[in-house]
Formats: sequence, C-alpha cells, structure tokens
Amino acid sequence: MKAGFYPKIAGEGMRRNGRLYAPFLVTCILMVAIYYILHFLGYSGVMEGMPGGGTATMMMKIGTGVITLFSLIFLFYTQSTLIRGRKKEFGLYSILGMNKRNIGRILFFETLITWGIGLGCGLAAGVGLSKLAELGFAKMIGGSVRYEFSVSAVSVIMTLVTFTGIFLLIYLNSVRQVRFASPIELVRADKAGEKPPKANWILGVLGLAVLGAGYYIALRIRQPMSALMWFFGAVILVIVGTYLVLIAGSVLLCRILQKNKKYYYRTDHFVSVSSMAYRMKRNGAGLASICILLTMILVMLSSTSALYTGSEDCLNARYPNEIGAFACKYGYDESLVTLGEKLDRDLKQAAEEQGAAITNNRTYYEYSISGYYENSRLDVVLNSKTNLAFIDYDKVAQILFIDVNDYNRVFGYQESVAPGEALVGTAKNIEVGDVLTVGDVPFRVTGRIDDRITEIDPTAGGAASPGIFMIVNDVQEVARNYIQYKDYNGEPMLAWFWYCRFDTGLDDEGQIALASSLGEKLNSELDGLGFSNYYCESHEAEREDFVGTFGGLFFLGILLSILFLVSCVIIVYYKQVSEGFEDQARFDIMQKVGMTKEDIRKSIHSQMRTVFLIPIGLACIHLLFALPVVNKLLMLFGLFNMPRLLATAGICALLCGLFYALVYKLTSGAYYRIVS
Amino acid sequence: MSLLEAKGIKKIYKTRFGGVSVEALKNVSFTVERGEYVAIMGESGSGKTTLLNILAALDRPTEGTVILEGTDLGTIRDRDIARFRRDNLGFVFQDFNLLDTFSLEDNIYLPLVLAGKKPDEMKKALAPIAEALGIGDILKKYPYEVSGGQKQRAAVARALITDPRIILADEPTGALDSKSSDELLGLFQKVNRMGQTILMVTHSAKAASNASRVLFIKDGTVFHQIYRGEATDRQLYQKISDTLTLLAQGGDRK
Repeated sequence: MKAGFYPKIAGEGMRRNGRLYAPFLVTCILMVAIYYILHFLGYSGVMEGMPGGGTATMMMKIGTGVITLFSLIFLFYTQSTLIRGRKKEFGLYSILGMNKRNIGRILFFETLITWGIGLGCGLAAGVGLSKLAELGFAKMIGGSVRYEFSVSAVSVIMTLVTFTGIFLLIYLNSVRQVRFASPIELVRADKAGEKPPKANWILGVLGLAVLGAGYYIALRIRQPMSALMWFFGAVILVIVGTYLVLIAGSVLLCRILQKNKKYYYRTDHFVSVSSMAYRMKRNGAGLASICILLTMILVMLSSTSALYTGSEDCLNARYPNEIGAFACKYGYDESLVTLGEKLDRDLKQAAEEQGAAITNNRTYYEYSISGYYENSRLDVVLNSKTNLAFIDYDKVAQILFIDVNDYNRVFGYQESVAPGEALVGTAKNIEVGDVLTVGDVPFRVTGRIDDRITEIDPTAGGAASPGIFMIVNDVQEVARNYIQYKDYNGEPMLAWFWYCRFDTGLDDEGQIALASSLGEKLNSELDGLGFSNYYCESHEAEREDFVGTFGGLFFLGILLSILFLVSCVIIVYYKQVSEGFEDQARFDIMQKVGMTKEDIRKSIHSQMRTVFLIPIGLACIHLLFALPVVNKLLMLFGLFNMPRLLATAGICALLCGLFYALVYKLTSGAYYRIVS
Repeated sequence: MSLLEAKGIKKIYKTRFGGVSVEALKNVSFTVERGEYVAIMGESGSGKTTLLNILAALDRPTEGTVILEGTDLGTIRDRDIARFRRDNLGFVFQDFNLLDTFSLEDNIYLPLVLAGKKPDEMKKALAPIAEALGIGDILKKYPYEVSGGQKQRAAVARALITDPRIILADEPTGALDSKSSDELLGLFQKVNRMGQTILMVTHSAKAASNASRVLFIKDGTVFHQIYRGEATDRQLYQKISDTLTLLAQGGDRK
C-alpha cells in the first residue's frame, strides 16, 4: 500500500471528528504546558536564591507528581470516550476489508499525531509561559526577579519522557478496545438496545450511607494530627459516595418521583424525569467526576488563598516577639534554673551591645510531661513496648507546668495557687474534672484559664497533640514527682523548656543579624551540656520562609485549579455533545407526536438546569463539610482564622460557580445546535 | 363537507445550495370522507411519504392547500401547529417512534400529558383502547422488551388515545413480519368499523387491500383510484395487483 496512506486516514478521521478531537488536543497541550512549567520551577534551579525558594520548589516538585498522575488518568479516560464514539467507523473499515493490524496502524498514527501536536504546542506554550509563571511566582513569594529567559533542557526531556509514556499507554488501550470486538459489534456499538435503568436500592442507599459516613468522619475529626490520617479516609468515602449517589441514587430518586403519579404526569415533569433517569445512568459518572474536580478546586483554592493572605497572621502567631530563643533538655536538674537565669542575662547583654532596646521581655521556663490522657487523668507510663506507629494520637496529651510566680510576672496576672492546686488552661475540646491527676499526683483544679492559653503559646490550639497548661505552686517541687518516668529508650520523660522572647526596636536586618549572633552565643554556652535542642530565631528571618511556603502553595493551588477547571470544561463539553446526539432522535419523535418547540425547549432547560446544579451544588456541600477539617489542618500551619477561611471559601465558590455557569452556557450551545 | 381535502398539492425540493430542484409532488388533489379507510399506494420515490408529511403538517407544500374539517393547515401559526397536530391527528409510523425512555404505558400517555390531562382521566381513556388492541398486560414494559408487533400496537394506542379526527399511518406494516402485519391490519379494520377515519400510506398491496378505497400515486400525481364497493379483501387485492402491473408497465389510465 502507498506510503502515507495510514497517516492520511488517521488525519482525516481526526478532522472529521474535530468536534470531539479539538478539545482533547487542547487538554493535551495544556497539560504538557503546565507540566513543563511546574517541572521548570521545581527542578531547573531558577528559584534558588529567592527567599523561601527552597520550600517553594518543594511544592512545585510535589505539584509535578500530582499533575503526572492526573494527566495519566484524565487523558486515559478521555481517549476511551473518544474511541467508543468511533467504534462504528472502525467497524466499517473492518467490513471494508481492513484487518485488526491495519486498524491498529491507523490508531497508531492518530496517537502519533496527537502526541506530536500535544507535545509540540504544549512545550512551546510551556516554554513561552514559563517566564511569566516564574515572574508571577517570584512576585508572590516576594523574591527578586531576573529578566533573562531560559529553557531547561532537563524539563523538556522529562516532559517528553512522561507524556510519551502516557501516550504509549493510551495507544495500547485503544488497540485493546478495538481489537476485542467483531466488526458487527463495532458497527452496532452505539445502537445496542438500551435497557431502562433499574432503580438500585442497595447501591443508592449505600451511596448515601458512604457519603454520610465521610461527612461524619470529617466533622468528628478533633485533633490536627489525627486529622491528617482521618482526612484521607473521609476524602475517599466522600468520593466513592459521590459516585454512588450520582449514578445509583439519582436513578432511584427519578423512579420514586415516577411512582408519584400526580407529580410525574405533568407536562413539565413527564419528559424530564424519565429522560433524567436515563441520563443519570449514563452520565452519573461524568457528573460525579465534575463534582469531585470542583470540590478539589474549591478546597485547594480556599485553603491556599486563606494561608497566603493570612501568612502575616501565621507569622505573628508563631513568632509573637521579634527575637525568640528556646532551649530544651530532658530530665530534672536543680542547676537548670540558674543556668536559665544566666542565659537570660547573657543574651540580653549581647543584644544590648548590638544596640537593642529590650521591651516585652518574656523569659520563663516550664516542665513538660506527656502521656495518654483520659478522664482527667494523664497516664505517664507509655508502655515500653509501644511502638510510635501504634500510638493513639487522639489520646496523647502534653502537660506543661508553669510556676505561678513566673506566670504572674511574665503575663501580668495576680493569681495565687496553693500547693496541691492548679490553674488549668487547655483547648475547649478537652474535658477536665475537678481533680486532674498527672501520674500519681492529684491536683485540685481551682480555676480555668482556657481563654488565656494563646498568650502563653499562640499556636496552642494547633499543636500536634493537645497541650494542657497547669499553673502550679513551686514548679520545681512538682517536677520532682516525675523524675522516675522513662520512655522505652530509657530516656527521662520529663523535659525542661526554656523560653526567652523579647522585642528589640532594631530594623529588619538588625533583627536577623542579632538572631544569628545570639544563636552562636547559645551554642557556645550550651554545647556539650546535653541539651536536646536550642535555637534563636527572629520574626523577620522566618517571614521569608512563611511567604515562600504559602506563596508556593497558593501558586500551585492556582495552577492546579486552572488545570482541573479545564478538565471540568472538557467533561462538561463531551457530556453535552454526546447527550445532544442521543436526544436528537428523541426530540424528533416528540415533535412528531405533538410536543411544541416551546415544550421541548422548556424541557431541555429544566434538565440542563438540574444537571448543571447537581455537581456544583454537591461540591459546595462537600466544601462545607470539609471546612472544619481544613481549618484544623491550617492550624498546623499556624493559621487560626476561621472567618478568613470562610471568606475565601465563599469567594472561591462564587468565582468557581460563575465560571462553571459560563462554561455550561457556552457548551449548551453545542447541545442545542445538535438537537435542533 | 369532506373531513380532509387536499387541493392541488405541489412540492418542490431544492438541493442545499439551491442548484437542482426536484419535484416530489406535481399536482395532488383528493378528499377523505368521515369514517373512510383510505390507502395511498405508490412505489418508492413516488412522493407518498412527502404527501403524508404535508397532510400531517410536518412539512408545508410549495403550492396547494390541505383543509381538515374546514381548517386550512396553511393558516395555522407555527407555534400552534404542534398543538393542532396533537389534538386532531394520530400518527402511526413504520419504525414505531416509541421513546425508549418511557414504558409503553407512558408512551401512550405522552400526548395526553402534553395536553395537560389528569392521571385518572388518562387511565380511563386507555382502558378500552388497551383492551381492543390486546396490550393490557404489557403496558408496564419498555419498548426494548417487547416485539415489533407489540410496539406497533402500542403506537396505535398512542395515536388513538387522543380520539383524533384522522389517523395517518406511514407504512405501518413496513417493519413487521407477516403475522404481526395481518394482526395490525385486522386492528385497523376493527378501529375503522368503530368509526375512526384512517389514511394509510403503503407500498404493500396486501396492506392496501384492507382499505375501503385505494389511491395510486405515480410521478407526483394521483394516477388512479379504486373503490372497494362490495368486493372482499381478496378481490380488492386482485384489483390492486392488476393496477400495479399496469403501472409498472407504464400504461395509461383506464
């Protein structure tokens, strides 16, 4: 056969199906471009040297992984839909005398063309836009901008390798689909008599139950640490539930509506309800995918934008003073108290030598002991055989003892606590009775300072495990009760935490310089004394890291959201087009039987509206249930601002809804053109 | 006054870019009286489906008028035409045109639902028709679950349920096996005897021999017509066959 025959047939076939192939190509191009940009930012080293660039490139690397996975799944799914729609054509080729190998060859060239256009245009777009992305990114994390243009060979090669792999898989899948069918099956593929969808009570109810379970878990999560583990469980349940509910549950609902004769036999319900049952059976999966994508976008955008816009809050919460020094040593030692006083003097002296005017001085120490907390009792003895992996994080708690004199001095109160008594402060969700027993020692709880704990530790609510602050009389005396507790490595459980925080009145650079010189001073004094951890940090030095991390997250959120939105658009578009072809014959019949054009238009409208509202509505409900968890996860980052999260969530939902509505409006044009 | 009157119908189709034009119907005139059962015969391409579409107001003639009970179809506004069709005409198609999203029952109810009837009324209207057509026990089934003959009977029920002025049938036996065809034609005669006017387009002599009058169309005009008179189905069939032979040989009108 003449050379160029197969490429020609392949190209012809794609052109004829342009209505379906064009969006597919656009998706390919977009995915390649975004992959290149993320890879470029993550691996080529352009971000190095920017403040916070380290954490930001880390985000981009993670993003590259996410997009690889997503591209694989999405392109695979779309390609199968495309091939299904063309089975008739392949059946015809095969009746005209082509064998499976010939058809395989056509498919090969089709994939090759898609590969060529997708990678060619995608890389061009990626390289072209990478500078723009770099500038935007640098601006977001507050870095300085370089203006030279660069192309990363590594990124280009990685893009080629990744997407060639994906296309190879796609090709193999389409060959598989066409190969295992006889020509007649292929020709009739789209005419196979369709069974009316049966209402599946089990699946429908199961879907609701699974969805409900996902919601319940999401609402029940209390501790950020366990949140991470449970969150994924809840996410999976919600995804499965969404699919079940939209596929089986919706058919069930339609059937129930049909049982209600008064409702069903009305002009405006009759056609919509019955065709909806069919539609949902076919398109339930598509709608569920749209819903999941929209939910991902909403959660991602609202959380990252809340973080980004709230990064200053996080920073201030985490670093309330300009300079903060910290030291930690396990075990009990009488000399630590005097060491602490000496450190305090030395650091302040060094600071004043550098021109600092010390204000807001907050230096104190506390003892910490951890264990399982239940029923107002902390059981310090962690089983020596207990592996970290088996620890029930929901029960782990940390008790922090502070001397009442230190507490009054540093935070400006006039509390008094007798021996054997304690003022207790903790997060709202931890129950404390009249007597709190720590180890074997009972403390009578004489007062609660729950609303003051953020003064002591601004991140108290977001700590990995809940902290219980106890203001006691003579903390040294109390601490001695816990000397004997050892962990499974034989190390003491009791820890001494020393804090020294103050403001300096220095400018930004002065603060950063001071922090590093104080860090050296700490090192020279504490090195070799058996301290497990000590450092000195400054508010200003941390800012760059914060903005870098949150800016990186936000940027990634935006890029991935664009990608997911476009994928949504593609799914919606395919859905409309395929529904259009299905409904064409149906509306033709209805018109013959006496349905007016206006009736038809009304019926189409009402169906469209329902099908349009389902995914976005459900996505918003998902978001609502996800917000408490997201809020707790944000606490891990140090953001304690639910109203801000609510605001960003609202704005994101609104923007997303508007965009989605626009897309729906545009794609329903394609539908109308086919139907009429 | 006749129930249906077609006067000087002419239909010219233009190809898409206005180049070649094809004259499907030249000049067709005839009338249908109340209670009649008329068959229109002709070969493929003789214009009979075009004629039916025009009678059904699905298509408009290039020239000529169709008058149903004194109403000129040409004067009905576009937006009212579907309603007019629903209220006055019943359709039976070759390929049934049942909606696969509905059960047979709901397919039959469709025109009534569109007319805004109550569920109780619809049930009352369906009962005698389902009885007469013998589909009472398959009403809950879906089109894909029943045979072609059963589908066509459901389609007839859908046409009858609005109590139309006239039933227009387009090759109703075209997709049926001979047994189902015979049953359906028997039903048509039964319905006709109950007073229902029927106009059927077909190219089957067998089907046409059921009618009380047969019109022959050739090259876009009414070429000939046969009245049944006192003839039996068999005798009428013979007459139709003779006429068809004559038509095929290109002979002139007797």
